[in-house]
Amino acid sequence: MMSLKPRNVDFQETWANLKETVAGVVGLRAVERAVWNTRFSDVYALCVAHPEPLADRLYDETRNFLEEHVSGLLQRVRGTAPLENNDHNDGLLTRYVTAWREYSQGVAYLNSLYSYLNLQHIKRQKVSDAEIIYGSAATACSPDQDSRQLEVGELGLVIWERVLITPLASALTGRIVSALSEARSHPPDPTSADILRQAIHSTVDVQAFRVRAPLALYQQLVLEPYLSAASGHHAQFAAELLHHGDISHYMKHVLEGLEREIALGGRFLHASSTEAVRACYERAAVAAHLPALHAETERLLREACDDGPRADQRRSDLKRMYALLKPLACAGALRPLVEQAHAQAARDGRALLAAPHARDEAHIHFVNSMLALHGKYSKLFGEVFDGAQAFIGALDKACSEVVNGRAAEAGAASRAPELLARYCDALLRRRGAGAEQEADDKLAGAIVVFKYVCDKDVFQKYYARALARRLIHQLSASMEQEESMINRLKAACGYEFTNKLHRMFTDVTVSADLNAKFQQHLRENNLSTNTGFFIQVLQAGAWPLGGAMAPLAPPAQLERPARLFEAFYRASFSGRRLAWLHHLCTGELRTRYTTRVYHISATTPQCALLLCFETVDSAPARELRESLQLAGDAWPRHVRPLLDAGLLLASGDGEGSAPDSGDDDGPHGTLTLNLNFSCKRTKVRLTCANAPAQQGGSGGGGASGEGNEVTHCDDDRKMYLQAALVRIMKQRKVLRHTELIQEVVSQARGSFAPSVAMIKKCIEALIDKQYLERAPGTLDTYSYLA
Amino acid sequence: MSGEDCDVDRGDNDGQKSDKMFTLKKWNAVAMWSWDVECDTCAICRVQVMDACLRCQGESKKDSYGKQDCVVVWGECNHSFHFCCMSLWVKQNNRCPLCQQEWSIQRMGK
Repeated sequence: MMSLKPRNVDFQETWANLKETVAGVVGLRAVERAVWNTRFSDVYALCVAHPEPLADRLYDETRNFLEEHVSGLLQRVRGTAPLENNDHNDGLLTRYVTAWREYSQGVAYLNSLYSYLNLQHIKRQKVSDAEIIYGSAATACSPDQDSRQLEVGELGLVIWERVLITPLASALTGRIVSALSEARSHPPDPTSADILRQAIHSTVDVQAFRVRAPLALYQQLVLEPYLSAASGHHAQFAAELLHHGDISHYMKHVLEGLEREIALGGRFLHASSTEAVRACYERAAVAAHLPALHAETERLLREACDDGPRADQRRSDLKRMYALLKPLACAGALRPLVEQAHAQAARDGRALLAAPHARDEAHIHFVNSMLALHGKYSKLFGEVFDGAQAFIGALDKACSEVVNGRAAEAGAASRAPELLARYCDALLRRRGAGAEQEADDKLAGAIVVFKYVCDKDVFQKYYARALARRLIHQLSASMEQEESMINRLKAACGYEFTNKLHRMFTDVTVSADLNAKFQQHLRENNLSTNTGFFIQVLQAGAWPLGGAMAPLAPPAQLERPARLFEAFYRASFSGRRLAWLHHLCTGELRTRYTTRVYHISATTPQCALLLCFETVDSAPARELRESLQLAGDAWPRHVRPLLDAGLLLASGDGEGSAPDSGDDDGPHGTLTLNLNFSCKRTKVRLTCANAPAQQGGSGGGGASGEGNEVTHCDDDRKMYLQAALVRIMKQRKVLRHTELIQEVVSQARGSFAPSVAMIKKCIEALIDKQYLERAPGTLDTYSYLA
Repeated sequence: MSGEDCDVDRGDNDGQKSDKMFTLKKWNAVAMWSWDVECDTCAICRVQVMDACLRCQGESKKDSYGKQDCVVVWGECNHSFHFCCMSLWVKQNNRCPLCQQEWSIQRMGK
């Protein structure tokens, strides 16, 4: 065992021994364990030699030795073949790889042999990684092996690069590139594949220790030359595909080519290169032919959406096109496809809507068409375009265009809100048994369409009116369904939107409770209404009911329950005022004067009128009208159904005897009870068929009702916009015109799409009312006046 | 023929007992209630008294359709407001905002 103490060392002698072993190690020849240990100690001894450490000298000698060794290897690798020819089968690559395997392993061993030198001598000089990357200009320039010492393993690699690779660079590159090109069409046998891969990876390994740009050599020697050669190949490949076949053929093969190319890269190149390989391929084979691809989008989409025989194939074509264009999306390559997808869906939607349908089923046709459209394209885009956001957006845009499409006449409001509300009404009304689940699904579908409707406030008006009708006349199929539909609307549009609907719904539930309490109250006090009695008490303000609380002198039979209930109600609540909505009340009468007993249900005024004939068989219309206190136009509306049903007969003297003109001139004629009344059915309904016309009912009341609806809505919208404007300005104090408009539009979007003109008008109105002013000295800025 | 019979029947009935031409089996009444106020807008929050006050509208967004908690209150001066609005108001100023009389509650809506 030798001593660790520094001592005098004869450099020449020690180095001579060491050199022999080093040569053995680098050449991968057998080195005995004992010899290895001695040499290990020699390195130590040289490094700590007395009086002068000999580390630097050892380092220099080692470098010289390695340089010499590598020069020898160079000769071996170069062989006799001419370097200029790029035949990759001439054996150069094989010789190179053999030498590299031997040398790289040898140098790794050598590094361990010199580990004392590496650790004690070199480490001290070593610049930290941070300094290399971020350091001053002096250290930042590439580490030069002359000015700075490296660990021996690294030194070996640097020498390999400088002495062996540099002279062979172009020869290696040429051979690698041509071998790769050939591998593309003819997969090489495993041995040569292995050699090729190792040759390529040696360029990575040689610089792997470098902190900065460890892949520089690889990129310069392999990747860049390969990519530039490949892009030429790809371009030619793509051009030929386009030349020889149609676009489907091209896309199919280009995609296959892409896969092949990536597999090739994965097999031979460094893992970091996949993206570069892909990008190179896409640039050369796809980006160059974008116009050709875009030109076909419309046809492909159209054919994919027809149910023609080629639809399936076109779908796969589109799928491929999306796969090709998606990576180029940031360059806008997808945009034409998205636009065409939108146009196609919109075109299809308009065609669906225009399809012939029964006039009274317009609402069903409308909703079904829209659902079909939405379902078809959601499925298509999901399948073909992976449900990408851009295409979902395009579909949404198309749907909302189609849903809100204006009628042919210019300026006419969209019928979507009305149709959709009618659709819901039809579903929620009482109908035959079963079909509950089906109706539920359909209502969920209606919500899908609802989300596309712009004029949600108009929809709300129609829906509220239909709901009121259903609730008051007890036409709802099920209260759970009503409630769940309101909740769906709330989920889609928020509390504000369904507030009134909820209140209407609550009133009905509260009323049921109230009736029970009233009946109990009657029992407890031994009172009786003499007749069946059921009441709904609605809260003012929530129900879209036409004003007319017609004054009416009710017949005695009605007066009693009314008084009793009023007394009960006053005792139960305080501070409330009760008004009777007679035109909505219905009574059920039984006839006693006919051979068969008929059940007649009619509005309160009609009941009152019939009850007038209790004592007389006929009476002058004018008298009857006065006793009922029915206002001008209410009279004919209530009398008409009675005449039509044949319960009453209008007869009389002079003008106004004919039933037609009897409407207007009723007061002049005479009304007679038809004692011979007969009807096939024993139940006669006179109720709501004609009575609610004043509410602007959905069906008959048509034109005028709708006109009112629009102006009514317009007023509401102005209020809404002004409120939104004030809220925004109160918060922001000062705001530019365009930003203000944007904010208002985004707030209003939930219930309608406001026009800029209307917003401007509202701003003007607020300036007049001194809520806002134009900020002094500016053209387009408003400020809030507290 | 049958008409004749009916007529006779009716005459008989009329004469002997008060048997009716019609019987009213059932009455489905519809009524509307509103607060018995002179002015239907709350002068404090400028919302119709039939609707919940602004504050309650904001809060009830959470628990959907609440009961009608936001009732009306009448002062001795007969002016009426939302109870919620007024109870906040009197903390600052115990006078009716409309007539400046001392505020005292005459009755509450229920």
